[in-house]
Amino acid sequence: MRVGIVGAGVMGGIHAAGWLATPAQVAGFRDIVEGRAQDRAARFGGQVYDSLTALVRDVDVVDVCTPTDVHYEIVMAAIAAGKHVVCEKPLARSVEQGLEMIAASRAAGIKLLVGQVVRFFPEYAAAKAAVDRGVIGKPAVLRLARCVSQPRKATDNWFVDFRRSGGVVLDLMVHDFDYARWVAGEVTTAYAKTLGVARPEAAVDHALAILTHASGAITHVEGSWAFPSGFYTAFELAGSDGLLVFDSERSSPVRFLRHRRPEETVPEVPLPAHPLLESQYTTEIKAFYATLDHDAALRVSATDGLAAVQIALAVIESAQTGRAIRIEPLPIGDLRLGEALA
Amino acid sequence: MKTGNETLRIGILSFAHMHAESYGRALTAMPGVELMGIADDDTDRGRDAAQRHGVRFYPSYPALLADKPDGVAICAENARHAALTIMAAEAGAHVICEKPLATTIADGQAMLAACQSAGVILMTAFPMRFSAPVAEVKALLARGGLGRVHACTATNPGQMPARHRRWFVDKELAGGGAATDHTVHVADLLRWYLGCEVVEVYAQLNRIIHADAVEVETGGLLLLTFADGAFASIDCSWSRPLVHTTWGGVTLELVGEAGVVTVNAFKQTITAHGERSGKASAIYWGSDADQAMIAEFIAAVREGRQPLVTGYDGYKAMEIALAAYRSAAIGQPVRLPLG
Repeated sequence: MRVGIVGAGVMGGIHAAGWLATPAQVAGFRDIVEGRAQDRAARFGGQVYDSLTALVRDVDVVDVCTPTDVHYEIVMAAIAAGKHVVCEKPLARSVEQGLEMIAASRAAGIKLLVGQVVRFFPEYAAAKAAVDRGVIGKPAVLRLARCVSQPRKATDNWFVDFRRSGGVVLDLMVHDFDYARWVAGEVTTAYAKTLGVARPEAAVDHALAILTHASGAITHVEGSWAFPSGFYTAFELAGSDGLLVFDSERSSPVRFLRHRRPEETVPEVPLPAHPLLESQYTTEIKAFYATLDHDAALRVSATDGLAAVQIALAVIESAQTGRAIRIEPLPIGDLRLGEALA
Repeated sequence: MKTGNETLRIGILSFAHMHAESYGRALTAMPGVELMGIADDDTDRGRDAAQRHGVRFYPSYPALLADKPDGVAICAENARHAALTIMAAEAGAHVICEKPLATTIADGQAMLAACQSAGVILMTAFPMRFSAPVAEVKALLARGGLGRVHACTATNPGQMPARHRRWFVDKELAGGGAATDHTVHVADLLRWYLGCEVVEVYAQLNRIIHADAVEVETGGLLLLTFADGAFASIDCSWSRPLVHTTWGGVTLELVGEAGVVTVNAFKQTITAHGERSGKASAIYWGSDADQAMIAEFIAAVREGRQPLVTGYDGYKAMEIALAAYRSAAIGQPVRLPLG
């Protein structure tokens, strides 16, 4: 299996490291920014493609790690060429794009895998498994928080361009919208406030959302790009019979307080730092490999990825209109990869 | 008005709310204050309390008020706060009333009016304003340490209280469930911190936790919008299992221009693991906010001034809780003030 990675930024490198832990071969990288694909190829192997077409033609799997706004065109090009696709979250910038992507992948018999990586984070997976074992009974009130500093980039900081990334809601909170839905089922309404709408002059984004599930459960989601530093995540899952609590600071097993050297800079894109014998991203890529290679069942589908995008866009609409937004069922069935396509 | 060394005589009207116990201890311990008596419509409960605190039991509220206390602490069921407050005001007694101030807008307004026309103080029992960690953050905000506050995430989760007091889950007596019980503390802190009123309330309420045991809501999330554009959420859920290490807690996270500050009012604890108790428990060692709150009531009475937290503050916090029910019923945000 030859994998071509489109978008050789932070996530392109992380995915490449994951693919290297599988039998797949990293065929190479494509990036529109001069030199970035070369850097990644030098580090992870593979060649540098000078066009998307060249990459797509040459590989079995196209792994899309680009800014959100170009997911659609790259995924559609890969599907048109009959190549399987791994696409970073969020699946698409709009629901319509996502519906087209899924419809095209189905029509072409192509596997479309979405990187909702939090489902592979061991703390989140363990809590989901505990819920499934009945530890908390019926989920009732969920609290999910993901608070980081605003992503910085030396050039072309697409994260802070709302039209491209969808801001903190679509780029970061999409993880928790997916997780809320995984734990407590379909979301029917969303109400939210965002700093981006309430006080655009603040120039950092921060959002609070309340989701209502068809099951009757309610979920509070906090997403922030307004934290000065760190990667803070937390959840509380309260149900009819119990409570599950996670706080990244309280469970952080290693503490190292070090003086920063004057020339030192902080990383551009904050990533969670919890020591694990295998990176969460590698766990995810290994699962993708198993699905691509032998149709192994996967814990997240493209429809899940699109449902999370749909919730995010409802949250944005609510913040913009001041109204609670009703979320209609997606007009597609949910095909579990490895089940439906096997 | 009594000043200087004159002893202030304070009574307690009803021990329906368990906080009466703490207020009774605080009053008894305070120099220059006499807990002059306890009245309760539940005679057994009142007699027991009077015996515990070593004070006189009055068989009726008018009987206690006829003995001309300087002030009273009202710890009746929420729906009975109004009648007792008005009765006390007419008897010329200053009032500290347990939260929530009342269960309806009309009751709340009547309480404010009665105390104003009688010229007595009406203080709402919001002890969290007197929590040392909470006050530390207020001081930080007051000196501009966080800059403009943009958004807040507040929680006041707790255990379902029916095992202590059944009326807490009686809609008639309590006014509602978790949203009535646990919205107002942090709603008051948010108003105090931001120095600004809430103009819109959105809420979702549910009853999944303890669904078989109670008929009121046990889960609730609110999202408030302030007049200056800041926004804040409140989790008022009774989401702490009965085996939890503590009854619940109060936390606030504030995101502002200068960064982020978080406060946990009940984090000053030792964790105890006892073979006999069968579960871990938390032993609180922080300062006593109840005592500080009662001291403020006494000081306000003595000095003839408004207390740090007023009846109006209680009314505005209650209004937010009442708006939460209206919002949950229609599924959309509700504008304040409520008519």
